[in-house]
Amino acid sequence: MYAIAIHGGAGAVPRATLSVEREQRYRRGLEAALDDGYAVLERGGSSLDAVATAVRILEDDAVFNAGHGAALTREGAAELDAAIMDGRHLRAGAVASVRHVKNPIELARRVMEKSRHVLLVGAGAEEFALEEKFTLVPNLYFRTAERLEQLEFEQRGERVSDLVPPTPQGTVGAVARDAEGNLAAATSTGGMTNKRPGRVGDSPIIGAGTYAKNGVCAVSATGHGEYFIRAVAAHHVCTAVEYRGLTLQQAIHELLHGILRALGGDGGLIAVDCDGRIVMEFSTEGMFRGARDSRGWREIAIY
Amino acid sequence: MSRPKVPAALACLLLLAAASGRPGPAAADTPPIAIVIHGGAGVIEPSRMTAAKEASYRAGLAAALDAGYAVLERGGSSLDAVTAAVRIMEDDPQFNAGRGAVLNDQGDAELDAAVMDGNGPRAGAVASVLHVKNPVELARLVMEKSRYVLLVGEGAEDFALEQGVALVPRSYFRTEAREREFEETRHAEWAPRNAGGPAAGAAQSNSMGTVGAVAIDRAGNLSAATSTGGLSTNKHRGRVGDTPLIGAGTYANNQSCAVSGTGQGEYFIRAVVAYDVCALLQYRHMTLAEAVHEVIHEKLRRAGGEGGVIALDPAGNVAMDFNSVGMFRGARDSRGRREIAMYRNDAKP
Repeated sequence: MYAIAIHGGAGAVPRATLSVEREQRYRRGLEAALDDGYAVLERGGSSLDAVATAVRILEDDAVFNAGHGAALTREGAAELDAAIMDGRHLRAGAVASVRHVKNPIELARRVMEKSRHVLLVGAGAEEFALEEKFTLVPNLYFRTAERLEQLEFEQRGERVSDLVPPTPQGTVGAVARDAEGNLAAATSTGGMTNKRPGRVGDSPIIGAGTYAKNGVCAVSATGHGEYFIRAVAAHHVCTAVEYRGLTLQQAIHELLHGILRALGGDGGLIAVDCDGRIVMEFSTEGMFRGARDSRGWREIAIY
Repeated sequence: MSRPKVPAALACLLLLAAASGRPGPAAADTPPIAIVIHGGAGVIEPSRMTAAKEASYRAGLAAALDAGYAVLERGGSSLDAVTAAVRIMEDDPQFNAGRGAVLNDQGDAELDAAVMDGNGPRAGAVASVLHVKNPVELARLVMEKSRYVLLVGEGAEDFALEQGVALVPRSYFRTEAREREFEETRHAEWAPRNAGGPAAGAAQSNSMGTVGAVAIDRAGNLSAATSTGGLSTNKHRGRVGDTPLIGAGTYANNQSCAVSGTGQGEYFIRAVVAYDVCALLQYRHMTLAEAVHEVIHEKLRRAGGEGGVIALDPAGNVAMDFNSVGMFRGARDSRGRREIAMYRNDAKP
C-alpha cells in the first residue's frame, strides 16, 4: 500500500473568476506533480523522494506560489521558504527567506542530509547552498508578470481577485506513505503577496506547516501562516491522532473548523496516516489538490 | 466538504477539558503568581565552577528572577514579567543571549528570540538578527505591532528601525570570553575530530545556552519568552534553532501551559518539544511534572537530544527539568517559594 497527496494552495480563488483555460492549467500542473510523485512510489522509491519530486515540479510551475512564480514581497522580490520531514527518523530540514535558490525544497533536503542543523535562513542558507554546489539564480528568475500585477493591485489596495486572474495564495506541498510504511511531508512557498521582507510563515516551521512521524501521520498545510504557527497546526493534528485516538479526518476537522476558526485563520491541510488513508480538507472556498494511491484512487480537485 | 460548523461548541469543549484537567495543589484557593527562569542547560557541575563564578551566575539569575517577580507582584502581566526577566539576562554577558551571546562561524552574534502570550494565544519572534540589543523586545513588537509572527534577518532589523528601535554595532555583543571561545573552537575544528567529538574542550564549558522565562499573573494568564545566541560557538551562519520557533522552544496557552526550552535546538525542533509538553498535559491528562519528564527524559533522550525546559501550568505548578548535567534556573511564587539552582542536586533557597 502506498499513497501520495499534494496541494497547490488554498484560498482566494473564487470559483466564478476562474476561467476554463486557467483551470486547465492548474489541473495539468497538479496532475504532473501527482503522477511523478506517484511514479516514485510505484517503482519502490521512498516517500521522501516522492514528496520532494512532487514539490519540485510545483515549484517549477509558474502558476503555483512557490519557486518560479512565487508571490512577491512588498519590494517586488521573491523570498522563499521550504521544509521537508522524514517520518522514519524524525529528521527534518528547512530553509527560509532565500532569494536565489531555484528549488528551495532541494536545499531544505540538503540541510536535513548534509548539515547538523534543521533550519537555515537568508544569506547563511545561500552560503550553505554554495558550499553544497548549488547554482544560485538571480531573483528575477522567480518573478512573473502575473505576480507583479498582483502585487501592484494589492499595493493599490484593490481586491486582487476582481481585477487579475486569480492565483492561489498559498503554498505547495505533498505528503506520502511508501510501501514500507514510511511517512514524509514537504512544503514550499513564496508566502503572502506584499509581505514584509523577512516575514516567515508556517511552511518552514516544523510542527506548524510541515510534520511527519511514522506510525502517526504526515501533514502539509497551506493558508494564513501566522495562525498555523500559533496553533502549531501540523503537530497538533499528529498529537490529536496519537494522544487522543482521533481519526485523521476528525483531527483535521477540529483544527480547521474549531481551533483555527476560533483564532480567525483560514486554510487547508493534506495528510496521510500510517495506513495510507488520505485526508484533504480546507476552510476556504477551494484548495488545489490531488491524491493517488495503490488501491486505484486518483483525484484532482479544486473546490 | 460541507459539514456542520461548530466552532463555539468545540471551543467550549476544549475549555471544559482543560479546566477539568487537573486540580493543582492550589485548586482550592486562587492560583498563585509565579515566574520561572532559565539561563541555559549544559555541562554545569561543581568541578567546572569557581566560587566566584558560581556566585556571579546566582546573582545574574536572582536579578532576572526578582525583577520579573516584581512585575507580577505589582499587578503586572505575565507578558511584562517574562519580557523583563529575559531582557535582564540578555544584557548580562555571562548568559548566551543578547550581549555575550556565542559567535557564529563568521565571528558574529546572531540572535533569535520569541515571546508568546497564552491569552489569545498570540506570538512574536525574530531570528538571525545581528544588530538588535534586546531581541526579546523586538519579538514582542512583532507580536504587538505587525501582522506577522516571525521576521528574520535584515527584514526584522528594518522593522526594528520602523518601530524606532535603535540598532547597535555587532561589536556590542562580542565579549572577550566569547572571542576566546571562538578562537579555541576554531583551532579545535582544524584539529583531528575523533578525539572529543564536536564538543571540543573549553568552548562547551559554559552551556548550550539560551535564556528564558515563563510566568503566570494575577489574572491567570500564562506567558513564555526565550532568547539566544544559538548553538555553542561556530554555528553555521543563518542557522536558526528552536528558540524562535513557536511550539519548539517557546509556547504558551492559557488552556494548557507555558514552556521555554534550552538545549540542542535541532532535537527540540524535530520533537516540537514545548508544544508536546502542553499537548501531553492537555490531552493525555498528565501532570506538568509528568509531561515534562516524558518529553525530556524519555522522548528527547531516546532521540539523543540534550537539554531542559521550564514550565508552568494554569494552577501555578512549576517544572524545571533537564537531562543535561545541569541547568541554570530559578523559580519564585506567591506561596513563598524562591529558589535558584544550577546543578542537578542543588536547591539553595
